[in-house]
Amino acid sequence: MLECCFRRDIASLEAMWEFLAGFFAAHDVAASRAFDIELVLEELFTNMVKYGRGAGHDIEVGLALEGTLLTIVLRDRDVEPWDVTQAAEVDTARPLLERKAGGLGLHFVRQIADRLDYEYTDRTSIITVTKRLEA
Amino acid sequence: MFDIQIGEGGLITLSGRFDAAQEEKAIAALRGVNQSATMDFGALDYISSSGIGVIIETYKRLHGAGHEFRLVNMNPRVRNVFAYAGLDKLLRIE
Repeated sequence: MLECCFRRDIASLEAMWEFLAGFFAAHDVAASRAFDIELVLEELFTNMVKYGRGAGHDIEVGLALEGTLLTIVLRDRDVEPWDVTQAAEVDTARPLLERKAGGLGLHFVRQIADRLDYEYTDRTSIITVTKRLEA
Repeated sequence: MFDIQIGEGGLITLSGRFDAAQEEKAIAALRGVNQSATMDFGALDYISSSGIGVIIETYKRLHGAGHEFRLVNMNPRVRNVFAYAGLDKLLRIE
């Protein structure tokens, strides 16, 4: 698994895009497939930044591609639990003027991921996403 | 790199990557739009929920003031994000 640590800051996204670009190039992932992976990673990372304020550690990101099966792991140490799999669903059929901000990011993750898992152990949140990349 | 240009006649041009780090820049630029507007996505490569949120709030503000807000020239991947959010049926996308 290719791993990297990112400072708990939205400004870290720029470094994350470089990290992802290197991974995509090494594994010959097409731009059409890369977009959704970037979206999943940004939404989960920014959630950890927002909900883990005060935690001093960097956020760890791991990527692996075995055949066509992509695995993304985000690890956030010394934080309170926040189970992303239990987040409220967004009603996307609701009229726009009645919609409240928030929740769309995890909705995107659910739309894209084949599987989303959450584990909390030793004050560490671990989110694992698996996605089959079609040829 | 993300950029947002506000032009004549309410033309708003987006380019680059509209990620969460660009939210404040976009909000500041869009605050100056107070008329019917067309947002051109032709040079936009990427958008996440942060960008979608800014666009929803802009739509609400302009719509509330009686203005129109059109979104044009989206590439298929950006349009997919609007579809994930259910916005492809709610916003005027051309």
